[in-house]
Amino acid sequence: MSSVQLSARGLWKSYRKGKSEVPVLHGIDLDVERGEFVAIVGASGSGKSTLLHLLGLLDAPDRGEVLLDGERIDNVSERRRDQFRNRTFGFIFQSYHLLPELSALENVMIPHMIRFGPIAYLRRRSAIRAEATALLERVGLGHRLTHRPAELSGGEMQRTAIARALAGRPEILLADEPTGNLDSETGHGVLDLLRDLNRERGLTMMLVTHDLQIAQRADRIVRLAGGRIEDWAPAMA
Amino acid sequence: MYKSLLCWRYLRTRYIALASIISVMLGVATMIVVNSVMAGFSAKMRDRLHGVLADVVVESYSIDGFYNHEEVTERILEVAGDRIAATAPTMETFALAKWTVSGQPFTRQVQLIGVEPESRAKTGDFAEFLVADQSGERIAPSFEISEKVKLNRPVGRLLQEARKNDPDDLIGAQILQDQLESEVPDHGAIIGFAVGHLHRDGKDYAIAPPGTRIGLVFPSAGQGKPKPEYDDYTVVGYFKSDMSEYDSQHVYIPLRRLQYMRGLINERGRGAVNAIQIKVKPGVDLDALARSLQGELEKLQPNFFRVATWEEKQGPLLAAVAVEQSILNILLFFIIAVAGFGILGIFSMIVVEKTRDIGILKALGASTAGVRGIFLGYGFSLGVVGGGVGLVGGLLFVEYINPIESALSRLTGRRVFDGDIYYFNEIPTLVQLSTVSWIVGGAIAIAMAASVWPAQRAAKLHPVQALRNE
Repeated sequence: MSSVQLSARGLWKSYRKGKSEVPVLHGIDLDVERGEFVAIVGASGSGKSTLLHLLGLLDAPDRGEVLLDGERIDNVSERRRDQFRNRTFGFIFQSYHLLPELSALENVMIPHMIRFGPIAYLRRRSAIRAEATALLERVGLGHRLTHRPAELSGGEMQRTAIARALAGRPEILLADEPTGNLDSETGHGVLDLLRDLNRERGLTMMLVTHDLQIAQRADRIVRLAGGRIEDWAPAMA
Repeated sequence: MYKSLLCWRYLRTRYIALASIISVMLGVATMIVVNSVMAGFSAKMRDRLHGVLADVVVESYSIDGFYNHEEVTERILEVAGDRIAATAPTMETFALAKWTVSGQPFTRQVQLIGVEPESRAKTGDFAEFLVADQSGERIAPSFEISEKVKLNRPVGRLLQEARKNDPDDLIGAQILQDQLESEVPDHGAIIGFAVGHLHRDGKDYAIAPPGTRIGLVFPSAGQGKPKPEYDDYTVVGYFKSDMSEYDSQHVYIPLRRLQYMRGLINERGRGAVNAIQIKVKPGVDLDALARSLQGELEKLQPNFFRVATWEEKQGPLLAAVAVEQSILNILLFFIIAVAGFGILGIFSMIVVEKTRDIGILKALGASTAGVRGIFLGYGFSLGVVGGGVGLVGGLLFVEYINPIESALSRLTGRRVFDGDIYYFNEIPTLVQLSTVSWIVGGAIAIAMAASVWPAQRAAKLHPVQALRNE
């Protein structure tokens, strides 16, 4: 049994560059099912990152709608939008985007710090810390808890970022070229992890990549070209 | 929670922020030091001035004064007896002091004050300022010429020697004794310390040691033309208030003698005075008292009396200090304002540097207000840390200002604070809680105000644009 969890309805987006408008997305329609692993592929500038940002409420579409479980979420208040980012979506970026001043463990605890006020946070602190530690252990970094990002390797940083994305217990993981900065072996390791998490936790996963080999590991591949969905096909794997 | 965590981490890891902390710190410390010194200076000066001057003085416009001072005093007590602690009649006039020590003549222009020492002592700190010599040994408020003072004269020393060497030569001793008695004027004078001493290279040299015969020339009183009157006195002690203005001018002699010499004792045996010193009880409003006395005395004798509080008598000096302090404060406040702009610049840089972090936080669900809070909190912590360190540093500097001054003097080879120029030997300080809290509070407020704009800019950053910045 499958059900549509996240949908895009006629998404349009263009960016202003000087005086001219550069169109990026021309009416994207997409349905993602709960627990599905979708890869979005396309050439540079095809709008795949923009699509991910729109779906994850990091950006607002010029036209069109984003629906979560059938309810529109792209036009909610700023406060609700912050809550969606914090609770529903987990982001993973190409350049990891860890906070350099914080240790790996603190980076993983940040989503909870943002979610709760100081008093509520302090009351739950030991539970949050235990959960973050468990997550870091799960991604294989149990021995790196107190290290700063600068002291970690690329693969370790991305694993930390994945642990952080999971910390808020999101329903949907949005990954923008998560292996783009990693060598292929490390990249596949990260991908194995994502795949496992997708299966283990039933997480919906959307992954943007330009690497077809990576995309092959998804349940479905969506190809973007010129701001439109060119075709979509179940992956070979 | 992430706000305070990030503030704390930024504070500890961004060394560039140290620059803002140091500028806030220096501004706060400077303001505390300057204010404490100026407050100490003016407090101590007021203290001294007030010690020398009585709380309220009733003067006649004429230096010939008035004979009915008893009635005037009675009237004053009638009006405000419940507010007055003591009164003392005095006579002030200009005079020329002449004396010779070891063949060397000295002449000084002085302010001659005829007092009843006992009653004058009750209306101010007069008695506390009287010393016997450089040693600072205190003497009683009296013009009595003691044996010790007499023996300090050259003949007195000869007499002492003669008594010691030849105790049986009573005739010789008697001759010297007679000589001494004939040399010593009957009336004592207490002269200002700086009148009787020269100050050179940090040491005092007596030029009118106790026992010196000092001649005073002052104007006679009366209807006709003033004529100079001459009278001799014996120096019995010194007036040392450490206010150079007074120490270098005042000469005190017995009131009755001055009245007699100026021809100001009438046929009924009453002497004239030209001032009544009034000491009021604690907590009395001096200005109100002066106004009511002025009004009352106008009724007694119009346009004859002038009633002034000690502050009014020293008005220009006190006002000058107050003006100086407020101008300095305005100027110094610019220092903190400069520190504020420093924070603004540095913060804008940090916001640019932290653009990516801001994008991450927003992607993780941090609100606009939350991001703003980080940078406002950061500015606040910079202000608190800078202000706190400046507070401690400033207070320590104030505490050890005199050792620091002497170290600086030794280092530069010239006196930074010259006790001869100012009224004090040490730099006086007074730390006022209200001033200090204003300074620290103001510094924190400025630091926060300077962080508002960068914080607002950070909060307004679009997450996607912030993250694209790689």
